[in-house]
Amino acid sequence: MMTLKVLDPRLSAEGEAARLAAPLASLDGARVGLLDNAKIGTARFYDHLEAILRTRFGVREVIRRRKPDSSRPAPTDMMGELSAADAIVSGIGD
Amino acid sequence: MAKGETMPTLRSPLYEVADAFEANELFQRNGWTDGLPIVPPTETGVRRFLDAAGLPAGAVVGVEPVRRRRITAEKVAIAAVMAGCLPAYLPVVLAILKAMCEPEFGLHGVTASTGGSAPFAVVNGPVRHALGMNATHNVLANGSRPNATIGRALRLLIVNVLGGIPGQLDRSTLGHPGKFTFCLAEDEEGSPWRPLATERGVPAGASAVTVLAVGSPHQIMNEWTHDPKELAETYAAAIRANMLTYSIWAGNYAIVVPGQHRQIFAAAGWSKRDLRDCVHERARVSRREWRAVGKSAVAPRKDEDATYTALRSPDDLLVIAAGGPAGGFGAILPPWYGTKSLAVTKGIE
Repeated sequence: MMTLKVLDPRLSAEGEAARLAAPLASLDGARVGLLDNAKIGTARFYDHLEAILRTRFGVREVIRRRKPDSSRPAPTDMMGELSAADAIVSGIGD
Repeated sequence: MAKGETMPTLRSPLYEVADAFEANELFQRNGWTDGLPIVPPTETGVRRFLDAAGLPAGAVVGVEPVRRRRITAEKVAIAAVMAGCLPAYLPVVLAILKAMCEPEFGLHGVTASTGGSAPFAVVNGPVRHALGMNATHNVLANGSRPNATIGRALRLLIVNVLGGIPGQLDRSTLGHPGKFTFCLAEDEEGSPWRPLATERGVPAGASAVTVLAVGSPHQIMNEWTHDPKELAETYAAAIRANMLTYSIWAGNYAIVVPGQHRQIFAAAGWSKRDLRDCVHERARVSRREWRAVGKSAVAPRKDEDATYTALRSPDDLLVIAAGGPAGGFGAILPPWYGTKSLAVTKGIE
């Protein structure tokens, strides 16, 4: 019987997609980056998150940066500063 | 689903299916389409497209600037086959894709935003006739194979290559029907005006595309005046409504002007420039007007009497001659969100 062979339309099929880094075993003593996406509610949300990370999870240091524009990538120098963190929370959405 | 061998020059994995019906079922099941059926992208079909464009399968034809997705000619050809294009359409699809990959288009934001915009492509030059594109009746809608399938190929690329899957990377709250496909030709022959691409720096007589991320088109109607200022006022009023009910921020608005309106503008000696100047002058609101449309909470955040213009300058307005010859129906196409995405024009190679 005649069959048809069709090509995979996805780019990710070739392994181009980014992957999440492995999670940290513990946040105790960690340095965490909080990347603010410049939406209205993010700063307040991160205030709470930072407090929880420090008091409940023993996070030692928090690096907070705010993107200049919610729809554009973070500038390279900002990414460089955040790269000092052991883990980064990147805000998306509103 | 058995993964077959990889062909020597095409890198995409192959899947074996019983027939075209099953091919469509496979793509539907995997979410590799927009919901409509696809033409099965076989190796023969994809090669035919690449050969017509004279492109090696591995040629990188665009890089999405944020996630740095390198888009190959092979994936574009696959999307074009799936969408129902003919091989001759591929250069137009490629030009639009390249335009969308320019940083000022903001492809990632456009794709991901809750604002739910669509890339809207306008084609100028001889390629319109070579491909048989539609610039007249029902121009914003169905009926023309190249208009429909060129626009659809871009959506399929966004879904499969950029991961713009609704509910995943595509966070659109509503979206709009233009997200299936949104491409037209300008009616250069039926227009007294310079073509859009020529106005935007492309040499006269060359083929080019202009792409802009837009919200849903809003039709206006005015069949009761011969005064160009009155006609322009109707377009400006629709833009003002959008500024109040959607977004107040200035950016690239597009207006589609049908034959009947063009005749009035032409009789009055109005160029596209005159029309842009008038709309720039008239499409303005103050924050105070937000109070009348349910946005009183945000009106006083800044000076309520400050004037906001829809256009940073008259050049922000894209005036497109298209639509059927009869009927005083035009349209405004609002920007996705201010200047976060700007119109980009590219020549077709």
